[in-house]
Amino acid sequence: MRNPFALLGLPETLLLDPASVEEAWRDLSREGNDGDETEASALNRARTVLSDPVTRLAAWLEVKAPDLVPNRAIAPGLMDLFSKIGPVLATTDSVLARHRKATTALARAMLAKEAIAAQLAVQDLLAQIQSLKSAQTDRYAEFEAGDLESASRALGQLKFLKRWEEQCRERLLALIAT
Amino acid sequence: MDDELIIGIDLGTTHSLVGVVDSGFPIILADGKGERLLPSCVTWPVGQPPLVGTEAMRSRILAPGRTVTSIKRFMGRTFADLSNEEREETPYRLVPGERGEILVRLDETTLLSPEEISALILARLREIASEALEMPVTRAVVTVPAYFNHSQREATRRAAERAGLTVERILNEPTAAALAYGLDRLGDSATVAVFDLGGGTFDLSVLQMRDGFFEVIATAGDTRLGGDDLDRTLARFLAETLALGDLSGSEEALLLIRAREAKEALSSEELVTVRLPFFRGEESYEIELTRERFERLALPLIDRTGPICRRAFAEAAAKGASTVERLILVGGSTRIPLVREKLTEWFGLDPDLSQHPDEAVALGAAIQAGMLCGRVRQILLVDVTPLSLGIETFGGLMNVIIARNSTIPVKAGELFTNAVDGQESMAIRVLQGERELAKDNWLLGEVVVPFTPGPKGSARVGVQFAINRNGILEVLARDTTTGEDHLLEIRDSAVDVEDEAVERMISESIDYAFDDMKERVWTEAKFKSEELLPAVTEALELVGDRLEAEDRNEIERTAARVRAVLESGSHDANALKSANAALDEATQTLAALLVEAAFEEMA
Repeated sequence: MRNPFALLGLPETLLLDPASVEEAWRDLSREGNDGDETEASALNRARTVLSDPVTRLAAWLEVKAPDLVPNRAIAPGLMDLFSKIGPVLATTDSVLARHRKATTALARAMLAKEAIAAQLAVQDLLAQIQSLKSAQTDRYAEFEAGDLESASRALGQLKFLKRWEEQCRERLLALIAT
Repeated sequence: MDDELIIGIDLGTTHSLVGVVDSGFPIILADGKGERLLPSCVTWPVGQPPLVGTEAMRSRILAPGRTVTSIKRFMGRTFADLSNEEREETPYRLVPGERGEILVRLDETTLLSPEEISALILARLREIASEALEMPVTRAVVTVPAYFNHSQREATRRAAERAGLTVERILNEPTAAALAYGLDRLGDSATVAVFDLGGGTFDLSVLQMRDGFFEVIATAGDTRLGGDDLDRTLARFLAETLALGDLSGSEEALLLIRAREAKEALSSEELVTVRLPFFRGEESYEIELTRERFERLALPLIDRTGPICRRAFAEAAAKGASTVERLILVGGSTRIPLVREKLTEWFGLDPDLSQHPDEAVALGAAIQAGMLCGRVRQILLVDVTPLSLGIETFGGLMNVIIARNSTIPVKAGELFTNAVDGQESMAIRVLQGERELAKDNWLLGEVVVPFTPGPKGSARVGVQFAINRNGILEVLARDTTTGEDHLLEIRDSAVDVEDEAVERMISESIDYAFDDMKERVWTEAKFKSEELLPAVTEALELVGDRLEAEDRNEIERTAARVRAVLESGSHDANALKSANAALDEATQTLAALLVEAAFEEMA
């Protein structure tokens, strides 16, 4: 993949302001409107990568330290959270599966209580995930100052958190639509 | 310049329109009789060429088996994908083709694909445009529901090509409506949502308008929800209330027409009289229908749009969009007052009715066409893909490669290697949908990735999945040794007769031919009764004390009726279906009370 910072003409920094990413993407998209799809796809991809702090960190590390071996060890704090996520997701999936099977409003209403409980549990998990994510993204200035090893370790943790966040968010959306 | 002209087409479930930009403004073109709306209806008089539009509509009662309406519902789908209800509910006959595709069977010798039928409608629109503009027309922008998947879009594109049109862009219907809305509001900065409830499909798109820049942030929908369903629900109610018994094709067609008229009248009247003179021989029927009664029938269908909206709003918010400020209504079914009331109730927004419900999409298509041929100034329009795209993994799971609501065009790559020595190729099943299990999603087809034979792990092929501006998928393989890209064909995987699902489907279609359908409908209805009856008992225990005596009596009466049919041993599928429907309707309030109680308890 091409360097997304260069592609959007932005400085190679972790501390990018989301508005500047939007502005750069918008200006370049306007120039190439209805033009080449490959170019437009690359711009769209660069915008997606740089708008998300986790993928931005990955892209930044690729530019700054392409030879650094990724650190995939899971930190103890994350292990605790991981053990909580599994059961909540399983309960939620069971409610959702029964909801999908139900063919009448009454049968669906019978699941309302469980669905609300599941929603609260998922929201609680999301809050925990987000606070652990912030704990890492708050250190971006530190990484920027040259601590690449820590940045790589943080990326390992953030990738887990991002995946869990996506899984929880999917459930939450499905619950909203019940 | 003239052969550069591009027209905009709204190919709708119940009617279609064609538009063009003239002197900077989008207009709808009328046929020789001044009609702007072409009914999406085709009929084949025996021994004569097919008729399209208003003339074809007249044959719905006389030749129900040879007159096709709502063909859009079947575009790009497989027979296996149809529910029993969908297989039964059309006055014309649907059969599976050799590759598992859907075909319309007019008679012993005539089978037609939905694409061929749509092509006739598109050809008529092309003709209308050529006549109105007095010049040949060969290029078009065609709209589709935003929630259409790759296969449905491809089928639409092929239908247009069959009609002699080059498709310059497949445009999402709510996006088109947003263009029509935004053309004279280019200076606005706002987050708007387009609520598009048409004849057969429902879409909701959230857009950000800023500096003449239109960006779709999130979209959601249901390609099997629209005014057609309301007509059928109402027709079923009329048939039951009037105790019409088994209906012939013509009777069913007539009842549907009267139901639709009644539905439309009830948007402005409080009471209509449905008249069926000489419906059956000397027998005439008449019934009064209040708006309130119609609304009770319509509510469960309209309620299905709520969660879809909430989902799209939540996704837009997660992507950083500000709160939706305006809710723009388009599509004929948004004329129903209950739809508007519900939207206000759910979202606290007064719906924006500035757009013509039937014409906004075609006007938007004309604007997009005008931009492509330089007749209107450029508006930067950015859309998203409605469904996640992925491939099936070994465990039968779906591995997402491009997430839904990604801005298009979008490309994502995946690297594949040979798993055994000398392997020549690998088949990948490509899916669209949001479910975790591959089998719960749409199977778009299979692509075969070629390997240069060698020891295990030596061949490396990068596969690019690209969704273009039309929302259509292209799969490219790049040989990393040669650096060459080539397009992989997305093969209809239903061709594979080894496939268990296809075998099951074929055997099911034999069942269908042998009229075992009744038994299957009975089993399905029985399943519904078994879901409802225990739920009624339990729900009455939980919140029965909050019910009005009248509601409670109605529930007990309708529940007793379901039990009676179940126990009668008659296996009368239709009787059980209608008993279930009555109980289902009688328990709507009870269901609402349960949800209310659940919220109270958790608060």
